[in-house]
Amino acid sequence: MSREAYQVPSTSGGAYTGSGAPGARDLSLSEGPLMQYICSDCAVKMSLRKNDPIRCKECGGRVLYKERTKRMVQFEAR
Amino acid sequence: MAPKGTDTTWDHEFNLLRRQDLFRNPPTDHTAYPALQAAVDPHIQSFNALFPEGGRKGLIDHGLAEIGTKTYLDPEKNRLTVRCKNVMLQKSQVPPSNKFAKNREILPAECRERHATYRGKLMATFEYRINSGDPVEFVRELGQLPIMVKSNRCHLQNNSPALLVKRKEESEELGGYFIVNGIEKIIRLLLVNRRNFPLAINRPSFTNRGPSYTPYGIILRSVRPDETSQTNVLHYLNDGNVTFRFSWRKNEYLVPVMMILKALVETNDREIFEGLVGPPNSKGIENTFLTDRVELLLRTYKVYGLYSKTQTRAYLGEKFRIVMGVPDTMSNYEVGTEFLRKIVLVHLGCVNVTEEQDTDKFKMLLFMMRKLYALAAGDCAVDNPDAVQNQEILLGGFLYAQILKERMDDLLSYNLKEALRDYFFRNNTTTFISEQFAKDFPIKIFRRTNENLGNTLEYFLSTGNLVSASGLDLQQTSGFTVVAEKLNFLRFISHFRAVHRGSFFAQLKTTTVRKLLPESWGFLCPVHTPDGSPCGLLNHLAHKCKIMTQPVDATQIPRLAVELGAVDISSAATDESVVVMLDGKIIGWCTPAESQKLAETFRHWKVQGNQGVPKELEIGLVPPSNGGSYPGIYMSSSASRMVRPVKYLPTSTEDYVGPLEQPYMSIACTEPEVVPGESSHVEFDPTHILSILANMTPFSDFNQSPRNMYQCQMGKQTMGTPATALRHRTDNKMYRLQTGQTPIVRSPLHNAYGFDNFPNGMNAVVAVISYTGYDMDDAMIINKSAHERGFGWGTIYKTKKISLKDDARTKATKNVQKMFGFAPGAPIKAAARATLDDDGLPHVGTKITEGDTLCAWHTVSADYSGQLINRDGITHFEKYKESEECWVDEVRVIGSENGNEVAQTISIKLRIPRQPIIGDKFSSRHGQKGVCSQKWPATDMPFSESGIQPDVIINPHAFPSRMTIGMFVESLAGKAGSLHGLAQDSTPFRFDEENTAGDYFGHQLMKAGYNYHGNEPMYSGITGEEFNCDIYIGVVYYQRLRHMVNDKYQVRTTGPVVPTTGQPIKGRKKGGGIRVGEMERDALLAHGTAFLLQDRLLNCSDYSRSWICRSCGSFLSVQPTVSPFIGKRKAVTAVRCRNCAKRLDQIEDLDLMKVDGEIWEDGQGQQWIGGDDTTTVVVPGALKFLDVELAAMGVKLKYRLDPKDAVRRGPLRHKQLDGVRMEKSALAPMSGGMITVA
Repeated sequence: MSREAYQVPSTSGGAYTGSGAPGARDLSLSEGPLMQYICSDCAVKMSLRKNDPIRCKECGGRVLYKERTKRMVQFEAR
Repeated sequence: MAPKGTDTTWDHEFNLLRRQDLFRNPPTDHTAYPALQAAVDPHIQSFNALFPEGGRKGLIDHGLAEIGTKTYLDPEKNRLTVRCKNVMLQKSQVPPSNKFAKNREILPAECRERHATYRGKLMATFEYRINSGDPVEFVRELGQLPIMVKSNRCHLQNNSPALLVKRKEESEELGGYFIVNGIEKIIRLLLVNRRNFPLAINRPSFTNRGPSYTPYGIILRSVRPDETSQTNVLHYLNDGNVTFRFSWRKNEYLVPVMMILKALVETNDREIFEGLVGPPNSKGIENTFLTDRVELLLRTYKVYGLYSKTQTRAYLGEKFRIVMGVPDTMSNYEVGTEFLRKIVLVHLGCVNVTEEQDTDKFKMLLFMMRKLYALAAGDCAVDNPDAVQNQEILLGGFLYAQILKERMDDLLSYNLKEALRDYFFRNNTTTFISEQFAKDFPIKIFRRTNENLGNTLEYFLSTGNLVSASGLDLQQTSGFTVVAEKLNFLRFISHFRAVHRGSFFAQLKTTTVRKLLPESWGFLCPVHTPDGSPCGLLNHLAHKCKIMTQPVDATQIPRLAVELGAVDISSAATDESVVVMLDGKIIGWCTPAESQKLAETFRHWKVQGNQGVPKELEIGLVPPSNGGSYPGIYMSSSASRMVRPVKYLPTSTEDYVGPLEQPYMSIACTEPEVVPGESSHVEFDPTHILSILANMTPFSDFNQSPRNMYQCQMGKQTMGTPATALRHRTDNKMYRLQTGQTPIVRSPLHNAYGFDNFPNGMNAVVAVISYTGYDMDDAMIINKSAHERGFGWGTIYKTKKISLKDDARTKATKNVQKMFGFAPGAPIKAAARATLDDDGLPHVGTKITEGDTLCAWHTVSADYSGQLINRDGITHFEKYKESEECWVDEVRVIGSENGNEVAQTISIKLRIPRQPIIGDKFSSRHGQKGVCSQKWPATDMPFSESGIQPDVIINPHAFPSRMTIGMFVESLAGKAGSLHGLAQDSTPFRFDEENTAGDYFGHQLMKAGYNYHGNEPMYSGITGEEFNCDIYIGVVYYQRLRHMVNDKYQVRTTGPVVPTTGQPIKGRKKGGGIRVGEMERDALLAHGTAFLLQDRLLNCSDYSRSWICRSCGSFLSVQPTVSPFIGKRKAVTAVRCRNCAKRLDQIEDLDLMKVDGEIWEDGQGQQWIGGDDTTTVVVPGALKFLDVELAAMGVKLKYRLDPKDAVRRGPLRHKQLDGVRMEKSALAPMSGGMITVA
């Protein structure tokens, strides 16, 4: 299976030293919805799950903005 | 394109294209508004003085030198000397444990967004040696020190506007403040006594020091090179003696001044006598007042029997050994030397004091005594410590340095002492020479000292409280910092220019400190001070007033003074010799005539700048006078002084004058006022005396002065444009005006300070007319169409920080206990889904109303593998509690500094739109505030012949008593300006009686085809008929103030009450009531509106129905009966008086058959009979409360309920009693404590 095959470590490989043991990693990946955030520093969009540490995957920025909702936002205009 | 760089000169014109270009292409070289930066510079430069660049010695270095080395002994008398070699402050960086950050810098914008503190690592190099071994160095980290924005330890220093914008700052970011927990904090500027200058004081409280003390004293606030100060006071005693007072670590000490004199130098009585009086052939000898007292001074000192310097120092050392906290190894003589170094006239030497410096101190002390005797004799007037003349400014950075130095001193002397004692207590076998100690000292022992200096200063900044053992020679311990509210830009900039007299004076009963004194001319703005409690204590610097932040080079001055004829010999007679002093050091004496010449020569050189006399040197020439201030030349080159530019007439170039010299100079206000031969200077512009804000009031010279003061207040309360980097700010509350405009009428300073980047109001067509009656009493009518076009529309931004961590201060729990989001597996309520996204955070852009959820979280705990899982399946919600609906503007998820933490903190920015509604407050720029009373339909508004309708209608009655003629002129100028497309220069003092403003703008109006006077015929919007008189209509700049009804309205019928009394609680936030106080009650009484009164005071307040016993008249003895057969659910019907009833088992010979009345049972099952004469009455709850309180003190109240006891109304009834003739007055009904049964 390709999953077992050797993978070239990515630049943001440091992210994998996050919480918990490596074995538990798979479990956390599947937990929680994947949400989009925007880095305050480099404006890159990224998807995070609930258990992911808060930082930009690209620049390590420590403040993330939530994206504006895609839902229709309509109010009575008076 | 522009090789010369960005243009920084500004006029009063609109400069539309230039501003547009500056906005779209922020300059890459330097700011276009240098005046703005100059206004804040004292703050920044005073901070830079801590750790200066370019190898100069910083305040901290000076401080460390003064602290010196500390010596400790171990049980075996080994000697450990330790000192701090230097202190370094790093720029703000992410900690090394963060492996993810590409950019290691932490910028101020990030700290604002993360609600964090902008700080850098503070490190110190310590050096210690044991006995006489080799010195060993080691470095310790002293925590994270908050850094001032734009200082030399900030990443933003010298950034171009383009770079600032890139770094999410304003293009004109000023700096000068700290960021503590995301909040911008400023250290207030404080007025303190002028340094190194002996002030003659007459203070009655001086007599409390002891018997024979008089109110006379000389105060000298002596400042060390590290900007810490030590105040020395000389007291004059009745008998002519003088004592030296100082306070050391908050305790006061008194020493005979003779002892100090003899300890300073090897001297004799003759030298002291001649030093005070003068040589035998001088006129000073003739002053018998002085000679008598000096003789007594010398005589009384004989009792101590101390003659030589060594003896005296040893004596002082013995007495002050404990106070100074010196090591036991020091001899008494050395302690005495240390005492003189640390306490006596420290400005003349406080590190490695040389003999020459001691001689300077000796001479200075003699001069102070001379001035004191002159004061006591009445030859010299007192100096006013409340006048700017005798004051200087304590800058924020310098105060910061003082605290840092003191903590450093404490660390080395007290904390280290304790840590060492503790160490030897634990390891009593080790000594200083042991290897174990060498290993432990830099790490283990230092860790036990309280070495986190960064935390101390962060606490100081966030609370403004000063925790200090010495008190830092200041009169207050709190209120040192303020939040730099960015309500609008004017308020923000005013914070940096504000100068406070000290919170000590706020409690003072006397108002002398608050007075506006002529000495303040040009230094403090006479207009810009708040009214109310801080009036006169919180002043603002005039806009051209500069504060020196570092000493100027005055090394040539003593040489030049000597060359100009200053000599060493002096006499007490001021008509013979006066002092020449530089920074509290006597550099010579000369005759009064010579002094005049000397000062003039120095003045000339100083302006020319070719003799090594710096331009900012202050040459305070106090001429001899009959009983005036003590004469002399007092020069100062030090920091913290206020200076201001004026034109020097002989060369027509700029000169700087200080507050001490100004009162003795002749500075003409305008060119025509120059008196030939007398005036030496002339003001560049009379508006230089005004603060930045006061300068923004157009034509302020036409207004009555209090109106200009009001405008300075209201300008700071305006809803304007606080910042342009709104997106990156997280202020708790921020006001924004949607439709800001540049004023048509403004002064050139408006452009020079770049206020067009932060518009603060709108130009409105204003008609002064009494129309519809809705403009009564300072109300104003807004044209509904103007409103619909956006007049005065505003927004409030509120930022809510929601953190799942318990407390930021306690780092006890490092592991995550709560997480954002819905508890996995549990169902999610539809109501929560309406506002929340999948991650449990609100949708950006969604509308939030009261009670809506702002975010969801659940608890987590670690399982066997360290995985965080939720066990209870409960989702908790944070709710939006305010009643006003708002929109989610931004949601920020805040990560930790290390970049490895899951979401624990979020910051939600909410937007509340606030269009103007009835009840919102507006004002013109002339202290003319008013409340919007109607939004009048455009169809019904009056209109002029050209078809113009006013945007705003105000009542003519707003003018006669307030005399704000400036507003009329602004109206004219605005009208003419908008007709011709001109920006109008509104600088005050530009018109006079010959060339009047009305004429100038009247002609402009005429040119445009309008009435010269600004009046126009107008037509009623309702009937279409022309009004009988012409209406004054023009264009005035209007501000919308932040006071809006939506934040103020308070209504209540029922609601929360105080439990004890049952009366409504106080406070709008809690849904309380507004008090109908005594005066309101009186008004209702006077109107005879009894029903209304009862409604307010009883029915809507603490109306309470309660049972009372008719026969014994008590609330407290009644109780409900308990039926043994019916359950608890049954409501009680019968209430009996326990006091009047009889217990069945206590009645003797009880015959149940003969018992009259019903038998009832209480809660304990006791049976009672009687006590059924009860009834309900309506009383105020407070009355029952009073009854209970009185009963607790053993006072019984009895209420008479019988109708016959009631107050009878109607004419007096004369009733003849049998056989008794009563006085008429005895028949008057009894009053008090009577309640009529309802």
